[in-house]
Amino acid sequence: MALLEVKQLTKNFGGLMANDHVDLQVIEGEIVGLIGPNGAGKTTLFNCISGFYPLTSGQVFFKGEDITGLPSNEICLKGIARTFQIVRVFKDLPVLDNIMVGAFNRTGSSSVARKKAMEVLDFCGLMPKKGMPAGGLTIADKKRLEVAKAFATGPSLLMLDEAMAGLNQTETAEAVELVKKIRQSGVTVLLVEHVMEVVMPISNRVVVLDYGRKIAEDTPQKVINNEEVIKAYLGDKYHASRRAN
Amino acid sequence: MGTDKNRYIWLGIGAVIFLIYPLIFTLPFPRHLMIMIFLYATLGLAWNMLGGYAGQISLGHTLFFGIGAYTSTLLLMKLWVSPWVGMLAGGAISIVVSLIIGYPCFKLAGHYFAIATIAIAEIAMVWMLNWDWAGAAVGLTLPILPESLINLEFHSSKAPYYYIAFGLLVLALMATLWIDRSKLGYYFKAIKGDLEGARSLGIHVIKYKFYALALSAFFTSICGSFYAQYVLFIDPDSVFPLMISVIPCLIATLGGVGTIWGPVIGSFILIPISEFTRIYLGGGGKGTDLILYGFLIIIISVYQPFGLIGLIRRLRKKESA
Repeated sequence: MALLEVKQLTKNFGGLMANDHVDLQVIEGEIVGLIGPNGAGKTTLFNCISGFYPLTSGQVFFKGEDITGLPSNEICLKGIARTFQIVRVFKDLPVLDNIMVGAFNRTGSSSVARKKAMEVLDFCGLMPKKGMPAGGLTIADKKRLEVAKAFATGPSLLMLDEAMAGLNQTETAEAVELVKKIRQSGVTVLLVEHVMEVVMPISNRVVVLDYGRKIAEDTPQKVINNEEVIKAYLGDKYHASRRAN
Repeated sequence: MGTDKNRYIWLGIGAVIFLIYPLIFTLPFPRHLMIMIFLYATLGLAWNMLGGYAGQISLGHTLFFGIGAYTSTLLLMKLWVSPWVGMLAGGAISIVVSLIIGYPCFKLAGHYFAIATIAIAEIAMVWMLNWDWAGAAVGLTLPILPESLINLEFHSSKAPYYYIAFGLLVLALMATLWIDRSKLGYYFKAIKGDLEGARSLGIHVIKYKFYALALSAFFTSICGSFYAQYVLFIDPDSVFPLMISVIPCLIATLGGVGTIWGPVIGSFILIPISEFTRIYLGGGGKGTDLILYGFLIIIISVYQPFGLIGLIRRLRKKESA
């Protein structure tokens, strides 16, 4: 059974169809990459799944349970955690406290939350920064903290919205390592990325959105060679010339 | 940074000083001054639970102060209920009222929330001015009872009031300390820091805003009941004025919002300034203390957004570095 199942999800903003009857399945233990050009509706899909936007139509199932229309905090309790493309760290709070806020999702006790947060700190390699206010971190560390907070809520599915955008090569490689570690710890990952090079090596499956529609879903190798995907990313002209060759 | 042991020693010394203070200062004024400092520190701490920790700036807390004052007074006058019971009843009513006004107000963001709270407090004031059964604009003079702890009235000395006010302050401090270290405090700070971020981490934002408001309203209301028993006369102008909403906010901001000791420090600075400017600048100088407040707040917010606590922390860091 799929861990997450999205059926015919549609989201309109006035006349704009940001998501057009999207079907999506995420199987337990996978890393699924969600890619697409700018404005393809990736973040909108994330917001719909995680309860930040009400759907226009369609349904979302998690562990077989209909979670369509639940508020975001309840969805987090069910076991779906997400990060934001533009990080939402609590900038006045120390790094440790940021992660503790996430850890309180599964406990009422401060000492349990602190212990869990320390584990996550260590896991995510943020231990040396633990006392720093989150606002003073570098972009790479803020992105890492964003992941750590969400991971601390104890999810079965972690949805990362461009957790690697804006990072240099070394930082990206480190972030990719973290995502792999998270999967190894038993958490399924749904990854939105703008950059193909990041998604391809780590994803079991890649889903491609373009103008709100799903245009491809396959293994990374096959998606790279998919004509529609090439067209979406590189435009008709390149596509046409390629064909002529 | 002071160790925990050091901290307890300082707390102990502080407690002893405040406990023997009335024995040293036997005149009414120094005692009155400290009672006001304690009362406003408690109000500042109460305001801080909602405004400082959860970031919901209320400028209508006078509503809960007035509810506290009127509830205990009316219960005493009409039903001869002990003011202590009235105090708790006022707290309970304030919590209920806070739930009713919280529901619509919490949908408002930032400044709009503050404006709504002012409006509600003003409505309450107008209502009380016209409610004959509750004394209307004439106000209520509390019955003079034999002095005793149960009656919460003392006529020959201010010392009992002093200790009760001190007790209220300690209670509010302990509540703040508990909030600061518990899940509540972390969630409040998260809500203040980033609403969407908080929701994404599983926080039921409205519910936790309610908790903050209810706690804050309860302590503010208790202060109102105490004030009524202390002054023994209340009217809408004295327990529902805008200034009772504003001063605790100023106190907390000056001392350091969202900190445990900030409102206490703020009260120890602002209340003496207010009392002394009132004495030395007389009735004609009404408002001079407020000009001073305003000036202080501007300086603090420009140079030290985290209040005096922020300044102290920074100096300490420099020292240890």
